[in-house]
Amino acid sequence: MRTSSPYRANLLGLAFMTPAMVLLLGFFFLPVVLTSVFAFTNMSTATGISGGSYVVTGNLLRSLTDEGLDAKTIKALRQSSYIIDQAGLEKARTAGVDAKFITEIGERLKDRSFTSSSAFERELKTLPSRPTRVRDLKIAASAFEQSVLNVRYASRGEMEAALSHMLENPPQGAVEQIATASYTGWTWTTENFKNLVIAPDTWRIVGNTVFYVVLTLAFNVLVGLFLAITTFYLPSAGSGFFSILWLLPRITPVVLYAVMWKWFTWEDGFVFNIAQDLGLPAFNYMKGSVASAWTVVILVNGFVGASFGMILFSGALKAIPVQQLWASEVDGASRWQQIRYIILPHMRWPILFVTSYQTLSLLSSYEQIWLTTNGGPGSTTTVWALEAFKTALNNYTGNLQYGLGAAMALILVAVGLVLSIVYLRLFRFDEMMSKPKIEF
Amino acid sequence: MQISINNFTKTFDGTPVIDDMNLTIRDGEMLALLGPSGCGKSTTLFTISGIHRMDRGQLMFGDRDVSGLPSQKRNVGVVFQNYALYPHMNVFENIAFPLTVRKDNKADIDREVRAIAALTHISELLERRPGQLSGGQQQRVALARALVRKPDVLLLDEPLANLDAKLRLEMRSEIRRIQLETGITAVLVTHDQVEAMSMCDRIAIMKKGEIVQIDTPADMYSNPRTSFVAGFLGNPPISFLSGIAMENSFSVAPIKLRVPLGVHEGIADGTQLKLGVRPEHFGPEGDIAVEGKIAFAETQGRENLYDVALADGSVLRSIQPAGRNWALGEPVRWFIDSKSAFVFSNDGQRL
Repeated sequence: MRTSSPYRANLLGLAFMTPAMVLLLGFFFLPVVLTSVFAFTNMSTATGISGGSYVVTGNLLRSLTDEGLDAKTIKALRQSSYIIDQAGLEKARTAGVDAKFITEIGERLKDRSFTSSSAFERELKTLPSRPTRVRDLKIAASAFEQSVLNVRYASRGEMEAALSHMLENPPQGAVEQIATASYTGWTWTTENFKNLVIAPDTWRIVGNTVFYVVLTLAFNVLVGLFLAITTFYLPSAGSGFFSILWLLPRITPVVLYAVMWKWFTWEDGFVFNIAQDLGLPAFNYMKGSVASAWTVVILVNGFVGASFGMILFSGALKAIPVQQLWASEVDGASRWQQIRYIILPHMRWPILFVTSYQTLSLLSSYEQIWLTTNGGPGSTTTVWALEAFKTALNNYTGNLQYGLGAAMALILVAVGLVLSIVYLRLFRFDEMMSKPKIEF
Repeated sequence: MQISINNFTKTFDGTPVIDDMNLTIRDGEMLALLGPSGCGKSTTLFTISGIHRMDRGQLMFGDRDVSGLPSQKRNVGVVFQNYALYPHMNVFENIAFPLTVRKDNKADIDREVRAIAALTHISELLERRPGQLSGGQQQRVALARALVRKPDVLLLDEPLANLDAKLRLEMRSEIRRIQLETGITAVLVTHDQVEAMSMCDRIAIMKKGEIVQIDTPADMYSNPRTSFVAGFLGNPPISFLSGIAMENSFSVAPIKLRVPLGVHEGIADGTQLKLGVRPEHFGPEGDIAVEGKIAFAETQGRENLYDVALADGSVLRSIQPAGRNWALGEPVRWFIDSKSAFVFSNDGQRL
């Protein structure tokens, strides 16, 4: 029993760790891996997430023209041809064309082909049993029509065969090019990233995101610090009350919090009425102007983060040895000098933590913006995460571009990783985590 | 500068810690506040520094009433028990801090810091961080920081408590040397009587928020006012015998011990008394014979320390030069030096 116990202890440890490992894999690694996979596809609502088929459409021909496919081939693809074969005869029969007429077509025009409907119809009119009504003639003619346009082929082979049949002497590689382009399912691609780089909107959104993160972060840290330090100097009864008050933005459910901000800033809302009474410009501050929209976005997110910062900073403040504060006071330091020279240096680690944590969560946060300004007016308050969310999951036009959205999300993950490393270097993380050499 | 505390009262959350205390610290003197933990000695120190405020009373720095002033405006230097050095500043910045916050010019600060560093022998450590210093070096830095702006009074809160035995001896004389060289008025808080006796001009012994006796170390040792003071000073400590007054003698009937009361004649027979005998006043020479057995023997090198158990179970301590070594359990007939023994009433007052 004694000899087997270490082994059993190891198994037990593994058992304890398993849930954490499963959660880590399921909720962290898997999403990142899947995002990376999706980012290199052109998946969207149109392509679906399973396979597709091969269709040449009018839209496709237009985009092929843009890609520089020669006009002759495009014209040929657009055209229909009429071929008198057994399949056509069968089709005519089921369409209810006069049997005698069909027999005559079969006998006299077998294996002939026409490149236009007018030529074919002219030929049909020469037949003795031709129908008297033009409409019937057209029905008969249409039975022999052959075209690749809007015909769905299940495999690439079939599409290529049909194209080869349609096109006489196609240019080198044209058949392959058309077949590839005609695929309706998703494909592997790096186009998402290229498109993001060249799209003018991208850089505007990057600018918005930087603006949003920097200002909100500054608000978080500075207001959090300010609150923590002021409540630190307050008597404990008062500070407890204020702490709870400042926690409200964080503990209020996010939708409710957003709705309260709407009441606060919308037409006939709180600020609106006060502004009106004071004779100041009164409008929908949330969406009425770019400046007010940004103010709302930064305050909405800022207050949530500020309370988070306040809690962390308050804890850190209480951990400063009281003798340090006493010593600075008897050394003659005023309140401000005490904060500047003693408290802030002691707060380096919590400030790093709040800064880096908030940078990362602000970079990937969009829910408050989505629920308040929704990126407006126009797209002036649209940040990267909101754009990625809208692109991939909540598109107005209904074509959700999973691939592009994943590419945007992946860029966000990469930026976050780089920033974390920069922060750790900047604040000399390892030095801070080493055991303190001084005794308190 | 002379520091006077008048009618000082302090309570914490309704519990009185100091009640109506009066204390004067003379200019240039080093005074020890000595007492067991919880006696209010640190509270007194922190009140002088302004960290704690008086509930009632008056604090004078020379002619200046500083009772209502915050510590920033009092010009005091404090050395804390854990030194409270600022860990994110190097030694130079630590020492310069009181001058930096006073916004002195750079050249003055540099000169002052280097002068005080030379005085405290830490000139070569100025670039180090507190974390890279030994306990004794941290102590010197704390002293330098406390002294750099020439405070009216230097306050030392158990400055040697965190040092090992050898460093404690070294810093004891160092602090005294620096205090004498600067001529600064100083207050030392300690619970260690050796520290208080060796470093200070006068000692104030405190008990439960009151000053029991204030005297020079020698006077306090040879002339304690209460049994508490007698018990607190001296190492190894004094030992006490309980007995009664009988015909102008201190008498312990069961062992037929009689010590003449000498000058304290006229005490009614049967009054409960205590006799305090220091270890150096009990041994093979003396005038009042006592019989007992060696119950404990400790060799200290130059001297040996003995506990002698008397027939009634009470114990007398003795310290004897090494040489003739008594063995554990050995019966002895030793003598008390009756002229040097202290007689206390049963409530501890010296007669």
